[in-house]
Amino acid sequence: MLWIALHLPLLSLEAFAATLAHGQADAPLALVDAHHVAAANAAAQALGVEPGQKRATALALAPDLLIGQADATRDAAALAAVAHAALAFTPSVCVQPALEAPRSADTVLLEVRASLRCFGGLAALLQRLREAVTPLGHRVQAASAPTPLGAALLARGPRRMHVQERAALQRALDALPPWLLGPGREHWEALQGMGLATLADLRRLPRAGLARRFGTALLAELDRAYGERPDPRVPITLPPRFDSRLELFARADSAEQVLHASSMLLARLASWLAAQHAFVRGFRLAMLHEPRWRHDAQVPPQTVLEVALAEPSRDPAHLQVLLRERLVQLRLPAPTLELRLSATEIVPGEAPSGELFPSAASEREGLVRLVERLQARLGAGQVQTLQPVHDHRPERASRLEPAQPARLGQRRSAPDAPAVPLRPVWLLAPPEPLAVRGGQPLLDGRALQLLSGPERIEAGWWDHELAERDYFIAEDAGGALVWLYRSRLPGGEGSGWYLHGRFA
Amino acid sequence: MDAVPAAVSSSASSAIAAPPAQALRRAVRPEPQDLHPALWLGHQLGRAGGEGVPSGFAELDAQLPGRGWPRRTLTELLLPHPGVGEIRLLAPSLGAAQRAGRLVMLFDPPAQLSAWALVQLGLDVGQLLVVQTRQRLLPGSDSLWAFEQALRSGHVGALVAWLPPRLRAERLRRLQLAAQAHDGAAFVMRELAAAQRPSAAPLRLALRAAGPDVLALRVLKRRGPPLESPITLALPPVLSEAAHARRRAERMASVPSLAVATFVDLG
Repeated sequence: MLWIALHLPLLSLEAFAATLAHGQADAPLALVDAHHVAAANAAAQALGVEPGQKRATALALAPDLLIGQADATRDAAALAAVAHAALAFTPSVCVQPALEAPRSADTVLLEVRASLRCFGGLAALLQRLREAVTPLGHRVQAASAPTPLGAALLARGPRRMHVQERAALQRALDALPPWLLGPGREHWEALQGMGLATLADLRRLPRAGLARRFGTALLAELDRAYGERPDPRVPITLPPRFDSRLELFARADSAEQVLHASSMLLARLASWLAAQHAFVRGFRLAMLHEPRWRHDAQVPPQTVLEVALAEPSRDPAHLQVLLRERLVQLRLPAPTLELRLSATEIVPGEAPSGELFPSAASEREGLVRLVERLQARLGAGQVQTLQPVHDHRPERASRLEPAQPARLGQRRSAPDAPAVPLRPVWLLAPPEPLAVRGGQPLLDGRALQLLSGPERIEAGWWDHELAERDYFIAEDAGGALVWLYRSRLPGGEGSGWYLHGRFA
Repeated sequence: MDAVPAAVSSSASSAIAAPPAQALRRAVRPEPQDLHPALWLGHQLGRAGGEGVPSGFAELDAQLPGRGWPRRTLTELLLPHPGVGEIRLLAPSLGAAQRAGRLVMLFDPPAQLSAWALVQLGLDVGQLLVVQTRQRLLPGSDSLWAFEQALRSGHVGALVAWLPPRLRAERLRRLQLAAQAHDGAAFVMRELAAAQRPSAAPLRLALRAAGPDVLALRVLKRRGPPLESPITLALPPVLSEAAHARRRAERMASVPSLAVATFVDLG
């Protein structure tokens, strides 16, 4: 067995920072639990704020301190996202319980012995693991060891080590301070007073006396870490549906703020999808509005944004681009305080092959993304494909349809060119009536010289759009060729000369 | 550099005739166009962008730097009005991009497109996308956004955009920068009045119809010597041979033009 431990030393602070507005994350931050500072970031610690201080003391030291409430569920959601990212590499992933009661768990354990060969060794696997966890924005300390608890202790310890042998693990653990162990923490002062600076010192003491003085839990923990006692673990299971929420610290009024906050949710979605080995085809972002505004009948309790993708994806950057294009068009009726992201349609897929050189497939994928972006911003109907239609009336012989990105690049059999004279590329819609002088049509006040014609087109009696026209090709004063017709419909209305096209 | 030792030895042999330093300088001075692809002499055509996209017209290719439409830059075509033969000019290069399996995108065409005419010109309408950006303008956005995105993506084979009139030069420069990611030809169509204003596009051509099925191109700007006389190209004919002959005969005899009622042979 080989366990990798991912320890997130700043999990609570980073989970809190994700709920802040853009740029606030670097300000002095502190988390408060029961009126005492539970954690403070580097900027706050530089001002003298330290864990354990009273809230009032911290505020006196740093008046600009941003104080958030410690929230175990928020931390658990952030840790679950890391665990989901790890599930893409091995099915046996578990969460190491917290050291002591009020703190939240901050270590994820992976059993990777069976995955080593697939991912090309421990170093390559660790590299992949780091890349998978990076979008979630946590500082990660990784260590590996043959026992789960040993790996967790090494990851928490001052020096991160990767050991594969029991003997090496023993040497590595011997150098660790005893306060890393969960059950020994309340006796830390006593242990220190007894001159026990490392776990090796602790193990050198008589076991019976140690158990009597500090309880059996400490010994059991020690044995599990060294692999002298079995340590069964229960792997986590992936929730079948993705639904993640983020309560914002400050209300978000603009699309930019919502987008900044939702980037964390999208990263969580991407890691859940990677664990599921699936791609998302549609997702929904619900923006819950502030309750104060809900008294107003005009304001709905939430605004929902549905994003559908033509091609399934799990690239958070691409999902964010689509969300951005949709969000900038949206007007929020009221500020939002909470975001919920859920995946509405999931497509199982195979892992993408990491290609070195661009191929036809990757170019097609890039093209699909381009068209999706254009359609997200301009509207689906503004990106069109041209279809030839079999109709003699020129204005009905072409049809523009909204492009379907998923069908891009598919080769269709091209229609054969009809055996008629070359048609004009530009058609005027509707045809432009021409002035007539002496029986001759005029364009911009100058006579058109008819060069070829007539070509009679008579069609459409079946759908009440009758066209009876004699088409001519003429040369305008500048030497360009135009296509014009004389309507043969009897009666005044609609008769006369019309300019219908230009030969481009 | 193995040219240097060779030059030294040759100067050593002729040391009696000329001072060695001067001979050395004369012997090793390379031609500027050999130093770097971005250098050329005033009477030569530049080759900065590498091989161009063949335009399908040999007379035109001979006058273009890179022997074709330049890649990774904008090519500006100035038209007095739509319909002087611009699509027939571009059709061979657009069709070649489509046959290579790549897509052609048209941005804001000035009129309704006829699918059959494009098929007749050898284009595959299944490999063609038409983007309309000016029908619905979003506040705070610009209509060139879509064109810029497509240029930047680098996944499109060839692009043709009809730009809004009186475009500012810096907007064009921005597009020109975006075009560096686009490995293929990119054409922008502008009004003829823009010829008086500076432009970031390295190749600018003014198009004019010079009679039926004949296109005259005036080179306004290229990487190379100025070209005084316009290039005339014979486009794929719309008119039949008989109609052409009749027109020539009419011009010679200056008889009144074809009466409306006379039915003529379509040829």
